[in-house]
Amino acid sequence: MHALLAVASSFTGPRLDYHALAPEIILTATLVLVLLADLVLEERNQWLISNLAGIGVLASVIPIITLAVQNHAARSMAGGAYVVDDFSLVLKALFLGIGYVVLLMSTNYVEEGDYYQGEYYFLLLASLLGMVVMASARDLITIFVALETLSIPAYMLAGWRKRDLKSNEAAIKYYLLGVLASAVMLYGMSLVFGYTGSTVLTEIGKQVNGSITHKPVITLGIFFIVIGFAFKVSAVPFHFWAPDTYEGSPTPVTAFLSVASKTAGFVALLELIYVGFLGRNDVWGPMFWVLAALTMTVGNLIALRQTNVVRLLAYSSIAQAGYVLVPFAVAGDNIAARRSSFTAAVVYLMIYAAMNLGAFSVVIAVARKTRSGDISSYGGLFEYAPGLTVAMTVFLFALAGIPPAGGWFAKLMVFRAVLDSGTTWAVVLGVIAGVNSVIALYYYAAVAREMWMSPVPDGDVTPVRVPAPLLASLGLTGLVVMAIGVYPQLFAHFGDLGTLVR
Amino acid sequence: MPLALSAVLAASAAGTSSDSSAFLRQYLTVAIFAAAAVVMVGAMLGLGRLLRPSRPQEQKSIAYESGVDPVGQGWSQSQVRYYVFALLFVMFDVEAVFIFPWATRLEAMGTYGLVEMAIFIGILVLGLVYAWRKGVLRWV
Amino acid sequence: MYLVEYLLLAAALFSIGVYGVLARKNGVLVLMSIELMLNAVNINLIAFGAFRGNAIGQVFALFVIAVAAAEVGVGMAIVLLIFRNRASVNLDEVDLMRG
Repeated sequence: MHALLAVASSFTGPRLDYHALAPEIILTATLVLVLLADLVLEERNQWLISNLAGIGVLASVIPIITLAVQNHAARSMAGGAYVVDDFSLVLKALFLGIGYVVLLMSTNYVEEGDYYQGEYYFLLLASLLGMVVMASARDLITIFVALETLSIPAYMLAGWRKRDLKSNEAAIKYYLLGVLASAVMLYGMSLVFGYTGSTVLTEIGKQVNGSITHKPVITLGIFFIVIGFAFKVSAVPFHFWAPDTYEGSPTPVTAFLSVASKTAGFVALLELIYVGFLGRNDVWGPMFWVLAALTMTVGNLIALRQTNVVRLLAYSSIAQAGYVLVPFAVAGDNIAARRSSFTAAVVYLMIYAAMNLGAFSVVIAVARKTRSGDISSYGGLFEYAPGLTVAMTVFLFALAGIPPAGGWFAKLMVFRAVLDSGTTWAVVLGVIAGVNSVIALYYYAAVAREMWMSPVPDGDVTPVRVPAPLLASLGLTGLVVMAIGVYPQLFAHFGDLGTLVR
Repeated sequence: MPLALSAVLAASAAGTSSDSSAFLRQYLTVAIFAAAAVVMVGAMLGLGRLLRPSRPQEQKSIAYESGVDPVGQGWSQSQVRYYVFALLFVMFDVEAVFIFPWATRLEAMGTYGLVEMAIFIGILVLGLVYAWRKGVLRWV
Repeated sequence: MYLVEYLLLAAALFSIGVYGVLARKNGVLVLMSIELMLNAVNINLIAFGAFRGNAIGQVFALFVIAVAAAEVGVGMAIVLLIFRNRASVNLDEVDLMRG
């Protein structure tokens, strides 16, 4: 306690850069407004809440744009614990974009689901706030608080349909493994803090690269932290919760978890690895290698025998996480690989967000008519919903990595990182990734064949009515996927964010 | 016994061979007191058992409930509706860990600290208002 | 200062917590095991903080305490939901989805 008091006695208020904090402040204000609106609005006016949430998310993009055009040097706050630089601006924009698309996907789903609307949007925005904070966190405590801010509302969102046993199961599995992962990660953080005496990542980075490099406790700490985040990004062998949680949750929530929550985990890993633990690639390099190889292979092989399209997308998103882990595995080999790995990971996350959200939008649209998630219910989709069929085909081919849909560029960046590294192990990992891309093509193409070739299962060919918000989310994601596929240079420089790479 | 005890205590106080063993020796005192307590209670109960007459009756082994015949089982589940109150208590109780350090240094932090804490408590109050408006606090 | 003793205590508590989470079937006991793990982390943080003579460890521990309360609050709510729908808190029975 004395130490605590000694710090406080020399207190001067921290100088806050309110311009740099504006996105978080606007988002927090929106949160408060949404909760108040839920309390005062009549039942029949509850639809206003989703508009309010959407406006709030869009409003918090404005300061990001003004910050970006200023081209200011990195704005560091609280002794380097909270940094707003190019990397965090791009990632914040990505998170807010994902959040907006998920809001579009949810609007009709939640309205028709007859459940608590105000709370849904409140929790979604709270989780989004955690992600936006995560993009700026450069400190163990900040990363921890951001991670919990984004996870705890997500546990509740997974259990949204209170009376549905599957939704309950999704929530308890996600909760238990999420909390276990947090505890393991925290234990690692406590060890790292103990041996460096600091929680700021730049300071930890200095010490880990310097005198105490080979303390076994640091090794153990890094090990625990990476394992904790492996749970969060659902890397094999820590993926057991993911398929069940994805299947049981409401579908917009599944889209949110599989894209936003996973991206946040990778963002935290990028910060930790590139700023904090760069000197110990002998510890995390092999770990990521094993995780990447297992995640790609197991995810794709189990996806082959899925009959439910949401579960198929769940395993596919596990496999996609494996591709994102590949750059991490080769990042420590040399300076060129370090740079291209960083770019590859960021670009992959952006493209993955667009194509996966698009695929889930189609799933939600189709389920509005068929009320089913079975792949067989997609039979003959082309006959009564040609637009949705084309969109789904684009998204599936993007996920498989076939040009001109956007996914090929993401995979190209990953392979470039592997080639930049050039070590035998890196090349072996590249070959594993290549083989897996071929396996993945099989099950993506199987869904496409079902839609184009098979007959309609029950002969019901009334067209699917797609409401406007869902149409907007389909249009947005489809546009991004095609734009990246046709003209990738437009997006490539977003990944060239040297601010974290030294 | 008292002689041996004081000898041990003296040894524990004087022992400075190493930091760690001195630290553990402090706990030796606790161990000795615990052992003495167990021995004393055991001796008294044992002595009572030896001296008292033994006439077992069924009524004597019934749980004592202020003189009235006991009703129901010893184990009973508490009502699940207490849960919400317990949960709300834990939430607001734990948030106090941020308020205590703040309160000790309020003067040093001045207006800045006051505004920060007002925002913090404002958000907490919002949570309470939410619980109240949703009827969680009503006793059914 | 005594550091190793605290670290050993924390490691033991953490291991008991991990065992409890993995082996217990009762949802409430699993939540208690998670508390045990988080408190092991707190012991670590405070011991390291005191050993280094800085306040960061204590500040970190305060955040862990607050977040742990929120986590367990949500966890209890989910376990209660399962109890209401199934009249059981046995987590092994919660396996509708497989494969």
